[in-house]
Parts: sequence; structure tokens; C-alpha cells
Amino acid sequence: MQGRAAVAGVGESVYYMRGKSPDSEFQLACTAIRNAVADAGLELTDIDGFVSYMDQRNDPLRLAHALGLKELRWAATTWAGGGNNAAGAVQIADAAVCAGYAKHVVAFRALAQGQFGRFGRPRGIGGRAEGDMAWKAPYGLLSPAQECALHTKRFMHDHAISQEALCDIALACYANAQRNPRAIRYGQPLTREKYHASRWIVEPFHLYDCCPENDGAAAIIVTSTERARDLLNTPVPIVAAAQGLGPKYGFSAFQGRWFPGMFYTSVGEAIWQRSGAKPADIDVLQLYENFTGPVMMTLCEMGFCAPEEVESFVADGALEGPDAKLPFNTAGGNIGEAYIHGFELVTEAVRQVRGESTCQVSDVSLSLVVAGPGYAPGSAVLFGVL
Amino acid sequence: MTRYLGDEWTLPGINDATRAWFTSGRLKVQRCDDCRTWQHPPDEICGGCQGNRLSFAECGEAGRIESFVVVHRAVHPALEDRIPYAVALVSLDDAPGVNAIGNVLNAAPDELAIGQRVRAVFEEVSQPEGGEVLRIPQWELIREAR
Repeated sequence: MQGRAAVAGVGESVYYMRGKSPDSEFQLACTAIRNAVADAGLELTDIDGFVSYMDQRNDPLRLAHALGLKELRWAATTWAGGGNNAAGAVQIADAAVCAGYAKHVVAFRALAQGQFGRFGRPRGIGGRAEGDMAWKAPYGLLSPAQECALHTKRFMHDHAISQEALCDIALACYANAQRNPRAIRYGQPLTREKYHASRWIVEPFHLYDCCPENDGAAAIIVTSTERARDLLNTPVPIVAAAQGLGPKYGFSAFQGRWFPGMFYTSVGEAIWQRSGAKPADIDVLQLYENFTGPVMMTLCEMGFCAPEEVESFVADGALEGPDAKLPFNTAGGNIGEAYIHGFELVTEAVRQVRGESTCQVSDVSLSLVVAGPGYAPGSAVLFGVL
Repeated sequence: MTRYLGDEWTLPGINDATRAWFTSGRLKVQRCDDCRTWQHPPDEICGGCQGNRLSFAECGEAGRIESFVVVHRAVHPALEDRIPYAVALVSLDDAPGVNAIGNVLNAAPDELAIGQRVRAVFEEVSQPEGGEVLRIPQWELIREAR
């Protein structure tokens, strides 16, 4: 909040393709947290809070005992269990530190989809479709890719957007991942021809419009900016953070005012109002891409461009590399680096301010993370040099 | 009648929220008795006036395709021999703001377009364990005479 709290450390596990981690999800979480604590120059016994996503399986008491904490003063999660939580988790850590409820709060995400099943696959299909699924599954609408495609198809129709816009977003993620040895897609460059030749998953999404599913964990340490100054690394202040209104997930998202949409208009308004910044001031952007279509919709809702401009806004390498017009997902994002439910975007945004990215933008003073589109509440967090 | 995705494909659970839609053989959508707001999916409170006097009202059977997707990758083994299939989002003429998911039974995926007019049809399905017959709302393109 206005730079009173800061990120003092970042850490992650090795990232694996889904099901390939030799460690359990809980072990991955502990590895990422220990790495972030070491990066900050803290001891595990300094940690007194945990924040994660709502469906977090690595509960705070189990972590506290495994990691040898002396006290647990703050444990919380955001609502709804998807990538929309990535920045919201940082906001809750920020709030705890600014209020003085805890001193060193870990925000993290750990996923081992080999161990616990896949997010991209429907759950509960086989018997009756219950709850939200009752309205969709009998008709064959089952996965997040299909749901996001339904929004994307209408948005492209309304604003005469071609497939090239989606391709350009995928190309930027892949190009940036080629600079990042941590990235799952490192050494696997993508071309426009290869994109168009790839199979359809669900029109309008080709294979390369969809992120992979991965095992891994990422974590940050949030503390007061004042305390962070005495630690190992340059503090990265949290300038502003926001969550915003949207529909309930799934079927509700196809109703009335919410369709088509990614539910980021109010998140953007709050970020710009709280920070005093505007979209053109952003030096580097991390924007969650479970799929490419939601990226272009969210760029518009956050105020970076109008829907009629978005195809040219992302064209001609405008998002690609450290010298891009708008450097974007500089470690590769969900599509290129790894799908850690967007928390890999948070660690990358912090590294950009510290000057440690593998795709380092020069003179970064404002580094924005926009979390998962299409599932509410959406969230965003702005890091910066004060 | 053979269902669009096959007779073995998953059925909706039937409860107070879903019964009117999936069993009445009509397009029935929740509506507030007081402020007349349509609400879909149903809930226990009206989002328009915060009242709790809600019932299910019948709509006409005409609609419009608001969007659609063509699924090429089956995410369930039972759908492997059904791909590619299309899923449409249809707005109901008589219930502004209400959109329904459905399949268009009389059209191939590559015949669909946003803006096409459709009308409701119903797939009758006997529940394997007995009980009321399901009448699942689906759609047909209204083809203009040439």
C-alpha cells in the first residue's frame, strides 16, 4: 500500500511438466518458501504469516510445523481458487504487514497436478453434473479453455479481430521463454507457421494459445519497506493492489452485463486511482495467460488500448523482448515459463524491479502484475521504485 | 431420441434450481415475483430487488446465437467419437440478459454464426434410475426459405 510494504525475497522450485515432479506438492511449496526466505536473508523462524489461494492444499499449520515457525500471526486466502488469486494473495500479505498484524508474510502457490489432478480437466463428470456444471456439462462445455473460447469468439466477432492477434501473444511468450533457462519451453521456439499449423483445441484456440500444465511452486516474502532495507536484497515496494467485482464462475459469467468479458475494468480503475499511474506509465507488464484470448480482452479492460486497437497493439513484436513497446510476460508467462497459477508472474515482476530478469527491461520503475482473467474476483498488483 | 453428445453422456442433477429448466418441456427461467427481474442461473435472493419471492416463468422459444465454440479436443473419453462438436450460447428473446448454453441440433459446427436465429427443441431422456422424464432444452437453426 503506497510502498509501505515491500517484497524482500523471491523463490521458486524447479518447474516440471505436469506429473514429472519427483517431489510432492507440499515439498515443492516448502522448497519455494525456503528459497524465498534465503533470498531475503531471513531465517525461517522470522516468518509469521502465510497467504495463498482459496483451494490451497498446503495448509498454513502444516507448513508452520514443517518449517519450524515460532509463531503464526496471519493466515488467509483469497476467494475462488484460480489464477485470479495471484495478485490478490499479494494484496492480503500487503494488508497484513501494513496493518502490523504480522512482520514477514509468505505469499505463495504450489501445484502438483500429477499428484492432485488437472485444473484443465473437468471434475465430477461421470455421474450427474451438479451445481454450476449442471448448466454446462450436459451440453459438452467442460473446461476453462472452452469457457474462455466462448468469450473470446464473441469479442473477436464484435471488434473484427483476426487470429493473428492471438498468435502474436503466443509468440511473445515463447520468444521471452527462450531467454529463460527456468522456462518449460526454453529451447523450443515458436514460429507463426508452426502456430497456424498446430491443431485446434477449441476454436478459436490452437494448441499454442493454451498454457501447459505444470508442477512447481513460487513464493515471495512481504515485509515492511523499512525492515526490508536491512535485508539482503533491494526492497521492491508494493505501490498498489486491487481486487474487483465479477460474476460467479462459469455459467454465471455468460449472463447479461458480464458477457463477453474478463472482469478487469474495476481492477484497472482501482490500480490507476490508488497509484496515480496510468497504463502508459507501465514499464513492464505480466498478464496471466491461461489462454491468449483473455489477454487481449484484459489489455482493453485495464485501459491499455481500445478493443478496436488491440490487434495492432499486440502486432509486429510489440510485446516481445526487453525493448518491446510494452514488455510483456518477460520470463515467458504461463505459456512459456510454467503454469504456477500465475505466481511465476509475481516473482518475475519483482525481478524486473530488482534488475534480475533474464529479459531485463531497462530503468524499470513500475512493474505490473494482472492476475487470471475470466474468473472473479480478478486482482492486480503494482510494484515499483518509489 | 438420440442425444447430441450420445445417450451415455452425463445428465444434469435435478433439484429445485434445475427442475424447471430440465424437465418442464418449456423454457422456464427464474423470475422475481416483485420486480420481474429474470435471473439465470437461479438463486435464493433476487439480485434486482433483494426480495425472496421467486418463481419460474415461461419464455417464448425464440433465441439468438450470441457466441459458439467448436470443440476439437475431447476432454472426456466418452466424447472422443463426438468431436468436433459445437457448443452455443443463446440469448432468450423474452428474457433480456439471460443466456443459455446449448447445442444446435440441425446444423454442423461449420454452419454456425453469431447472430443466427434459433428456436428451442427438447431432448427427451428417461432417467436410468427412473423418476421424471428429462426434457433438455436444445436449439435448432431457423432456416430461411429460399
